[in-house]
Amino acid sequence: MIHLDNVSWRRGKKDSAPVLAHLSFMVPQGGFRWLLGPSGAGKSSLLSLLHIENLPTDGQMTILGKTVAQEEKRAALVRLRQRIGMVHQDYQLMPDLSVADNVALPLRLQNRPEDEIQDEVHAILKWVGLGSRTDVPANRLSGGEQQRTAIARAIIHRPGLILADEPTNALEESQSCRLLDMFAELSAMGTTVVVATHNESLVRRLERPFLFLEHGRLVDDGGEQP
Amino acid sequence: MTRPFSGRKDGLSLSEALPDRSLFMLVAMMGFLAALALAGASGARALSARWSGGAAQLLTIQVPEADTPLSTPNGTSTTRVQAVLADLASLPDGAQVHRLTPPELARLLEPWLGETDNTALPLPAIIRVRLPPDTSVPDTLEQTLNAHVPGTIVEHNARWGERLRALANSLLACAGLALLSVGGIATMITGLATRTGLATRKDIIKTLHGLGASDSYIAGRFAWRTATLGFGGGLSGTLAACVPLLLLLQMAAPFASAPLATTERLLPVDWQALANTIPPDMALALALLPFVAAFICWFTTQVMVRLWLLRLP
Repeated sequence: MIHLDNVSWRRGKKDSAPVLAHLSFMVPQGGFRWLLGPSGAGKSSLLSLLHIENLPTDGQMTILGKTVAQEEKRAALVRLRQRIGMVHQDYQLMPDLSVADNVALPLRLQNRPEDEIQDEVHAILKWVGLGSRTDVPANRLSGGEQQRTAIARAIIHRPGLILADEPTNALEESQSCRLLDMFAELSAMGTTVVVATHNESLVRRLERPFLFLEHGRLVDDGGEQP
Repeated sequence: MTRPFSGRKDGLSLSEALPDRSLFMLVAMMGFLAALALAGASGARALSARWSGGAAQLLTIQVPEADTPLSTPNGTSTTRVQAVLADLASLPDGAQVHRLTPPELARLLEPWLGETDNTALPLPAIIRVRLPPDTSVPDTLEQTLNAHVPGTIVEHNARWGERLRALANSLLACAGLALLSVGGIATMITGLATRTGLATRKDIIKTLHGLGASDSYIAGRFAWRTATLGFGGGLSGTLAACVPLLLLLQMAAPFASAPLATTERLLPVDWQALANTIPPDMALALALLPFVAAFICWFTTQVMVRLWLLRLP
């Protein structure tokens, strides 16, 4: 569950103009939201905020039942971040690590047993169509393969919230559709999903509520009032 | 192609971000200097203890006209030197009183008078007193002796002992300052190396942080790497310092309480015997040096990385 109540975020000084201003919306547990808006509207900034890469400068933000504030203890934020899966626009893979090691990272950071990790990684890589590419270093993958690796890494630890920033950019149409089906499936299983995209055909294909941002303000909250 | 699951589990690749050569070599040099400073400190401490424990307990008494008869208050007849020896019987238990024999006196004066017959000279009697440890000369001794035997001179070596001890303590302080400086430089070197490593791995650290890596995990990975390099460097520096230290020990043997057989050769004949003469506290300090170097590296890196991570929420 995501709940934002009059949340603003400024980059730098307190008197600077807010990048995100007075955002209020709610996404229930298992909800799916498209995050739409023109370039520079603040979609990536909002996803960073929801991923707790930044903390709100004003207002109250609750993620997966936990209120996130500036004075929050770092250990609590780390635990919360471990329950979120994020697919970045630039993938943010470890270039020297193999596909399998990249995907295994969230589980390793949670100190899961190695045999369990290997089983999970093989299963998910097979599922995203990279079963034969497990041992290839990430820096030798094509754009589409890197994106699928990033998606596999974001969902392998079964997070309660998945955030995706333009996740279908480098994917072919069939792979994009498959990814959408996967997000819809995860949402149906109780995972909250927020996907930022420019791809209108994708939005038309999976009709779900959306959040529309413009100049850092929420123009349309998809009908769900906090 | 690589194995699907490699040993490089988190992508930090610290062997590349914090390469062996720079930090290892610099810590090795610091370890070398620290070992020499430790040896200096140990030597100064031993000298201080020896001078304060040995010389301070020695007392030299000169009795001019030693064999001249002296009448005592109770009417008995004695010599001046016997009167002094009688007074010295009241010193604390365990005090060793020894009047130098004529041959001992001749040997003492030989550097000044040569091997001549000096029996014709009016030499005073010399009495050497060694007090037991933790005892001091009674304040009234000199007055008492002079009252009973006028002209008796009491030379208390403690005065010289104090000066020598002050000198040894200043040497000890210098060695301590040198050690502190070496530790400070090692801290700065580690800090710079860590900062370089953080700069080259900035994006990867941010990704790991986003994936839920805790501060202690990231700081621990960096700290373990620098501690390993610090230990290796400290060990190498200490081992490298052992050779000059043993040579110094060989040269210092004449000043030690248990001198080695010879100091005429630059290189010792029996290295094992020489190594056995290393004071236990110095040997322990040298053995601990690599661990201290590792701790300095570990602690500095922990602080640096944790401070750096504070910029991330």
